[in-house]
Amino acid sequence: MQKNSRRTLADGTHISDLINLETREVAMRTLSDPELYELEMERIFAKTWVFLGHETEIPKSGDFMVRDLGSDSVLVTRDKDGINVSLNVCPHRGMKISTLDCGNTQAHVCIYHGWAFKANGDFIGAPVEKESMHGKLLTKEQLGLKKARVAIYGGLIFATWNIDGPSFDEFLGDAKWYFDTLWCRTDKGMEVLGPPQRFTIRANWKTACEQSASDGFHVLTLHRWLSEVGPYRKPGSEGGGGDLTPEMYGSEVYTAHAHTMRCIELDRKIRRLTGKDPSELSVKEKLEALPPPGVTQEMIPELLRNLSEDQLKVITWRPPQVGNFFPNGLFEFVYIPTPDGVVGVMALHAYVPKGPDKLEFVNWILAEKDTPPELKATMLRLGVQLLGTSGMVEQDDSDTWPHQTIAAKGAVSKHITLKYQAMYETGKPEGWPGPGDVGDGFTKDDTQWRWWQYWHELMTAES
Amino acid sequence: MLQNLLEPTPLPPSVRANRLAIGSPEYNEILDFLYDEAEMLDNLRLAEWGELLTQDLEYNAPLRHTRSTAQFDQTYIRTVQHLHESYGSMLMRVKRITDTKSAWGEDPPSRVKRMVSNVRVYKTDKADEFKVESYLLVTRSRFDFDYFDLIPCVRYDILRRVEGSLKLARREILLDQVVIGTPNLGIIL
Repeated sequence: MQKNSRRTLADGTHISDLINLETREVAMRTLSDPELYELEMERIFAKTWVFLGHETEIPKSGDFMVRDLGSDSVLVTRDKDGINVSLNVCPHRGMKISTLDCGNTQAHVCIYHGWAFKANGDFIGAPVEKESMHGKLLTKEQLGLKKARVAIYGGLIFATWNIDGPSFDEFLGDAKWYFDTLWCRTDKGMEVLGPPQRFTIRANWKTACEQSASDGFHVLTLHRWLSEVGPYRKPGSEGGGGDLTPEMYGSEVYTAHAHTMRCIELDRKIRRLTGKDPSELSVKEKLEALPPPGVTQEMIPELLRNLSEDQLKVITWRPPQVGNFFPNGLFEFVYIPTPDGVVGVMALHAYVPKGPDKLEFVNWILAEKDTPPELKATMLRLGVQLLGTSGMVEQDDSDTWPHQTIAAKGAVSKHITLKYQAMYETGKPEGWPGPGDVGDGFTKDDTQWRWWQYWHELMTAES
Repeated sequence: MLQNLLEPTPLPPSVRANRLAIGSPEYNEILDFLYDEAEMLDNLRLAEWGELLTQDLEYNAPLRHTRSTAQFDQTYIRTVQHLHESYGSMLMRVKRITDTKSAWGEDPPSRVKRMVSNVRVYKTDKADEFKVESYLLVTRSRFDFDYFDLIPCVRYDILRRVEGSLKLARREILLDQVVIGTPNLGIIL
């Protein structure tokens, strides 16, 4: 009985029946159902590792920021031992402990009854110590804030409530080999260029997140303006005006836990910049012709030292440019043509669930710590112009997701299906040295389908 | 160093002695400018609006943070911002709407009202420049949605007289919301 109810919704629908694993279809109802949303908060956001921010946001001991781990507010703090993540809720009477966005303090004191906690969540005490406000039934050790497990990876902060679950490295799986080429390529690593932009979209979190799992096709139509005006316009040599098709070729990687990425081919750009056939250039020559976003000529020896030969082959051929970390993170390491040459933009997003019909879009803009200040400023301005709140690219996305969410409520439309039936048929590209499942050529749906497969796995798991 | 590159040029102070009286001819002229600008933007006359901008335009919308009263000055963030624009990038935003067939985030366009109030005008050290403070309440209606997105803010402008006409040389928009309550800032504030 227990098992049955775990897998069945109140109206008798089996969660498994929402996804057709054979025909690669997902019932549209999934995009706004309140009951599924509650289950997702428990079975996905309280189970997997979730991206919360970057350690350079809280550089000093005592620094803290308030973030969302799924549907729960958490305190992300730094003390002398490192980064801590604790539930931002007082164990006394449930008041939110910090109502601020960020700050610096040695003790987090609840304004309601004055219970105080260390940065690591340990209970310090309640007012009027000798009168023992917290009673004698529980020890101070038992009265700390609920603590999450924390992993720092390339400066990125991840946390999970799944204390005994898989390690962060297990969770990343094959994606780590590729992510290392982004987060772990330079000696000093990355930094945020400021706090994140935040804005609300009246859409289910999955509309944004299934797209973040490397939807290539939508770029052709939803972001078509890119090819129609300004420095992004495609000259004739790149496939004719108004055509973004050349950007759709490359490799797409999808891994067991639904971390995916689009590795877009650089050959055309390198050929244009050098006038040479890329196959005749060494890795070093290619890096020098077109350094990755945020990387300068001076930093190229660091890349050559920190990455393996195979990783270097991938980042000079088809580097990961956009992709996701399951469940709700997205990265962009993109090469943007400007009148002054190619400029890289580095951004991270979290799509924070705020109820079945609402999400908060959080956008961080980053650079390497060693990126020169002038280039950082250029990358930041370009990032603001294209991505996030006012981003000319992403405003088209944020205007689309609400319609899907509304449509998912229609008595008829909630039963139609989302389709992920464009499939890779040829396997890994020849000579591809990286792990995971890899598709070759024009973009397909396999990455997004993997996202739903893992959603299905977590939502129907025994425990 | 990076901070220096990102910070906008400091605005001249709002000195009471430099304030233009409400109803004075120059005040009225500036009020006309703001009302006409609002009408222009509400009615999608974006190319025309682009002609009101000076080539050294600085156009910013800082992030906001919820901080304690004692740290009120730290509630404005001018590193990463919601808008961080120059003349060129602002015209690019205009062209995306006017020169393409695929600016879906604003096509079909929102129905927008820009309600300008609390206008105060200050003379500056430069005879041809005025500092203008105004409140702006934007209502935005999209599709058949039964709600309005509200975007309340204060604007600090520098208006410059160029060959007899007023132009916008500088605008800083201080939004009230930490988490912006509209799906994008695809409209001009």
